Amino acid sequence: MILLSAENVRAYYFLPQGVVKAVDGINLSLEKGITLGLAGESGCGKSTLVNTLLGSIKPPLRLVEGKILLDGKEISKMNISKLKKDVWGVEVSLVPQSALNALMPTKKVIDFIKDALVQHKKFSDSEILSLAKKRFEELNLDVKALYMFPHELSGGMRQRVVIAISTLLNPKLLIVDEPTSALDVSSQKQVLRTLLDLKKSGIIQSMIFVTHDIAVLRQIADKIGIMYAGKLVELSSTDNILYNPKHPYTVGLINAIVTPEPEVKRRKIMSIPGQPPNLLNPPSGCRFHTRCKFAMDICLHKEPPLLEVEGDTLVACHLFSSSKGG
Amino acid sequence: MVPKMIKELFTIKKLDLSLAIFIGALLVSLIGSMRYSDPLKMVGFPEQPPSREFPLGTDSWGRDLLALLLNGIKNSVYIGATAAAIAWIIGVAIGVISGLRDGLTDEVLMLITNIVLVLPSILIMMLIAAYLKERNTFFVSLVIGLTSWPWVARAVRSQVMSLKEREFIQMSKMAGLNETKIILEDILPNMASYLFMTFVLLMSGAMIAEAGLSMIGLGLTRGVSLGIILYWAQTLDSVRRGIWWWFIPPGLCLVLLTTSLLLLSTALDEYFNPRLKGG
Amino acid sequence: MSWLLLSVDNLTKIFTVGLLRKKEIVAVRDVSFQVDSGKFVSLVGESGSGKTTTAKMILKLIQPTSGKIFFEGKDVTMLNKYQDLKEYWSKVHGIFQDPYASFNPLQKVDRVLYQVFGLIKDQNVDRDKTVREALKEVGLNPEEVLGKYPHELSGGQRQRIMVARCYLIKPKLIVADEPVSMIDASTREGVIQLLSNLRDEYKTSVIFITHDLGLAYYVSDEMLIMYKGQVVERGSPDEVMDHPSSEYTKRLKADIPLLYRKWEGF
Repeated sequence: MILLSAENVRAYYFLPQGVVKAVDGINLSLEKGITLGLAGESGCGKSTLVNTLLGSIKPPLRLVEGKILLDGKEISKMNISKLKKDVWGVEVSLVPQSALNALMPTKKVIDFIKDALVQHKKFSDSEILSLAKKRFEELNLDVKALYMFPHELSGGMRQRVVIAISTLLNPKLLIVDEPTSALDVSSQKQVLRTLLDLKKSGIIQSMIFVTHDIAVLRQIADKIGIMYAGKLVELSSTDNILYNPKHPYTVGLINAIVTPEPEVKRRKIMSIPGQPPNLLNPPSGCRFHTRCKFAMDICLHKEPPLLEVEGDTLVACHLFSSSKGG
Repeated sequence: MVPKMIKELFTIKKLDLSLAIFIGALLVSLIGSMRYSDPLKMVGFPEQPPSREFPLGTDSWGRDLLALLLNGIKNSVYIGATAAAIAWIIGVAIGVISGLRDGLTDEVLMLITNIVLVLPSILIMMLIAAYLKERNTFFVSLVIGLTSWPWVARAVRSQVMSLKEREFIQMSKMAGLNETKIILEDILPNMASYLFMTFVLLMSGAMIAEAGLSMIGLGLTRGVSLGIILYWAQTLDSVRRGIWWWFIPPGLCLVLLTTSLLLLSTALDEYFNPRLKGG
Repeated sequence: MSWLLLSVDNLTKIFTVGLLRKKEIVAVRDVSFQVDSGKFVSLVGESGSGKTTTAKMILKLIQPTSGKIFFEGKDVTMLNKYQDLKEYWSKVHGIFQDPYASFNPLQKVDRVLYQVFGLIKDQNVDRDKTVREALKEVGLNPEEVLGKYPHELSGGQRQRIMVARCYLIKPKLIVADEPVSMIDASTREGVIQLLSNLRDEYKTSVIFITHDLGLAYYVSDEMLIMYKGQVVERGSPDEVMDHPSSEYTKRLKADIPLLYRKWEGF
């Protein structure tokens, strides 16, 4: 059962210096009950994609083409006020980057919750309190935190609180954008645990986790999508991505990961030469060809389509497309 | 880099508007004061409303109010700019030194700053006015300048204190650059927005301060400024007597000039902030 | 044969905040370690562990509250004369974490390279030629990089320029504070390799500061784990990772997300 689908989505930034094709032809679908990890490095467009999936598109960003369907409803056509009232927080929630710093420093957590919920339904104060308490207990969060100010909580705790608040109304889909990058490893583990609990207890159905850290995705994602320069280059199950990566960029990313494990010790740390392209003027054909050691003639001229290959994997690479030299 | 920055600067509408108003007013006054070179001359009947001969009417001494206004704008802007320059130099110098040094130097400079901040400048000016019977535009600028620098010093100091922790300053230090070079090449250019804005705000504040000083009789003793016109208008009870052409034009001009300066400073802020944050 | 390049003895730094009610923050407490020439020593710790403060003290950007620093046998703790400091910085230099903040945004990137000629003894070198060679050593094309402003280059390129700067100075010791944590993972190894090259070619030692236990494991000759301002564990990478003695190291190790294994209960 498909919960979210993006069909040929193109979202560009129209800036005075030119057009930045941040998301350029993305097709993806997310089933119910699945956690999808979106991995990519700087400038790959994953944060733009996430905002586009929500319908949060403000100038200079514009949806140039494509549609986004959430549970059958066409998000891409709704206006902002309808989205704010009926969709955001209710059907889908986004915890953006550095959300832990977005809590108003002069409001206690419970007051923040009251403000957030009032936008959607008329709750009484006692209803809000009991809902919040119950949810905090479910997620193993100290109920006392409800009466504290944000600065009294640690970074990890703040992030978990933000996640709890954004899922109070049980949205079907939760999208988190780099939720743990600013945290130390122990706080990170706790936040990941909270996200996992949310899913296990059925509070949310599906999750999209955006990060550059594939080792983190390995711990909680069922499927992983790799983005590069505005394009989706590979999409498969976590195991496939780790043990059988197909796209040269995916291979390069996995090989660059440094964890203290014997498997990593055996292969040395590697890197991909060059740097990601400027999306104002991306390379022709396959956007990765300038850094790819397998680049063929066709890679310079023709963009590889995202095709399904063995093992339920989608790859956008001429090494795998059936029409070679086309 | 600089020409490109200037070109981008002029794409902000607020800046174009405010600059146009201010420079327009200044040019008009400069040309006007050349034509009406002796505004204090008695040229007509006293307290005449605006007419074709005297577009802004006359005051109680039969002087042409248009002539007075044009000369007044010129002098008010001069005092504003001079006072701003004096306050700016003192404030920036103290702010930079205080920001860069820890310990005793910083504490002493801040103590001086705080003392000047809380000094009742009106009283000081009254004392000085009592001694100096002749007060020209430079003196008035000096008095205003010497009492309005503290907030600049504090603002500049906090900017410098946060800038000096930035890595590129440490890199210049490790390259062996001496302090003066670091101030001129690394610190001041990266505070350019602050420096411009403080000057513009100082100038607008100084023009209002001049008007205030003049209205209590501590302003210019010779020459005319917007404040002086208002002073005469107020002393001769023009409001109650309905001589609106005496107090409205100078008041309006003062408001126009200071508002355009404030608008300029917000336009500069808008321009500088996204650029300095971006990259 | 290696000899003692740097010796840090009981280094402590206490920050006092507040004017009337002074509060003390002990950022670094009694830290001691040695660095031999041609060695990579890692200081591993999370934010607040005191590793950056230690780095700044070794770089003589902050004065220690107590303790001593010996460089090449000489006590440099109290060094404060301009000439002495210049001499020190020609032998001990730093690379910082944020590749954007390391550059004056209003000046071309060339400046960070040309400004170090004041530290070099030989004043008759052909500066342009030397700069171009240094850029090539770090894998950058001088044509693509010189004359550009910082925002026109990527994070990886900027960090490489910082390493090129070190190629110009050829210091005996580089203190690198999180040199790769703000650049893409897929380009990190390139920058680290450059530091290794400096070590191999010129016997440059590197104090490598990071929060990434895994990274430290692969690059270091010796690892020191810092927690709340103190060194809680030290040893060779294998010793520290395979037989950690401190509870903190054990916890740190257990909380790293691994690639080929899943955490319990996840």
